[in-house]
Amino acid sequence: MNAIDPRIHQVLDGELAPGALSTELRRSVERLVTAVALLAAPLPLPSLEPRVMALIRRPVPSRARRLLRWLATPRSVTFRVRPVWSLAFAAVVAMLTLVPIGHEGPDIGEHEGIAQFVGRFPGAQSVHVVGSFNDWRPGSIALEDVDQDGLWRATVVLPTGAYEYMFVVDGERWVPDHLAERLVSDEFGRENSIVIVRPARR
Amino acid sequence: MDVTGASSDAEVVARVLGGDREAFGLVVRRYEAGLLRFAARMLGSRDAAADAVAESFVRAYRHLASCREPTRLRTWLYRIVANRCKSHLARRPIADVSLDEAPPVADPSDTEVALERAEQLALVRRALVRLSPEKREAFLLKHVEGLSYEEMAAVTGERIPTLKMRVHRAREALLQVLEDHE
Repeated sequence: MNAIDPRIHQVLDGELAPGALSTELRRSVERLVTAVALLAAPLPLPSLEPRVMALIRRPVPSRARRLLRWLATPRSVTFRVRPVWSLAFAAVVAMLTLVPIGHEGPDIGEHEGIAQFVGRFPGAQSVHVVGSFNDWRPGSIALEDVDQDGLWRATVVLPTGAYEYMFVVDGERWVPDHLAERLVSDEFGRENSIVIVRPARR
Repeated sequence: MDVTGASSDAEVVARVLGGDREAFGLVVRRYEAGLLRFAARMLGSRDAAADAVAESFVRAYRHLASCREPTRLRTWLYRIVANRCKSHLARRPIADVSLDEAPPVADPSDTEVALERAEQLALVRRALVRLSPEKREAFLLKHVEGLSYEEMAAVTGERIPTLKMRVHRAREALLQVLEDHE
C-alpha cells in the first residue's frame, strides 16, 4: 500500500482548503469524495420499524425459560483443526485399529492347532479336561463357565494329532464328551471322546 | 409522529423508559437509514445488515436504561450495531461474505450515467471489503456516517490517534484501487 501525500489527508480532515492542492492531488481528493458519495447514498431497504416493534412487543421469556430453550436448541459445534493434525489423528486411529498390539492369542507353531472343549454341566463347581495330551492328569486344564450358564469352555493349543479325552466334573465324576467327533471304548470299558487337532497355519 | 420532529433523543428515551413502548418506533425511524447503510457496507450484504440492525434495535430497547447519555443516543446505537457487525464478521470471515449483493443489471431504461455509477459503486464496494473490518469501520464512520473522531472513539472504544491512522490507511488503500482501475 502506497502512502499518499499528507496534504490529501489534511484536506479530507478539513484542516486544509482544497485550493491549496495541485491539480493532481485535487483529483485524488475528488476520487475519494466521489467514492464516499456513492457509499453514502441511501439503500432502498424497507423500514425495520414493523419488525423491531413486533419483537419488542413480545413478552420477554423468564430467565429459566430462556435457559431451558438454550439447552433444548440444537447447536452446531465447529472444530477448526489444521489438516496436519487431522492427518496425524487419522494415522493414529489407523495404527490402533489395523496394527495388532501385543498378542491376544497364544503362539501357535507350524505343527500345532487349537482344540476347543465345551461341555454342559449345570450346577458343577469345577470341570477339567484330561486326555492323552496331558497323560490323563486331572487338574491341569480347567474349563470355565464365564456366563454362569452351565456351559463350560476351554481353548488349548495342542500338537496336531488325534487325542482321547474325558471331562472330570467336580474332581470326581469322569464324563465323556458326547459332542465329540468320535467316541472309542478304552481298556477299562469306558467311552473316551476323540478330538482331532489340525494345524492352525495353512 | 415526525421522524425529525421536535422530540429530542433524550425526551424520546425518557418516554420509553417511562413506559411508552411505542415511542421507540421514533428511534427506529430516526436512525435506521444510517445504521442500515453502515451495517450493509460493513457486512457486504443487505440481508445480514437488516438482521444485525433489527437485533441491535431490540437489544438497545432492552438495555435502554443503561444508555447513560441519552443525548448521545445515536453514538450509542452505532456502538451496538458496530459490535454486532464485528461479531458477525468474526463468525463469517470476510472471504465468505457476499460482496455483490445486487450487481448492476443492464436495463434498457438505464441511462449510461446510471450504469457507470453502478459500476463505480461495485468497484468501491469491492475495494471496501478488502480492508480489515477495523479500517473499514473507521472509514465508514468518518466519511460515510459523518461522525467526529470523538464520536468514533465513543463508538469503537479506540483512541483517536488509532482511529486517525486507520482512516488514513483506508483512504490510501481505496485510492490505490480507484487509481489502478483508471
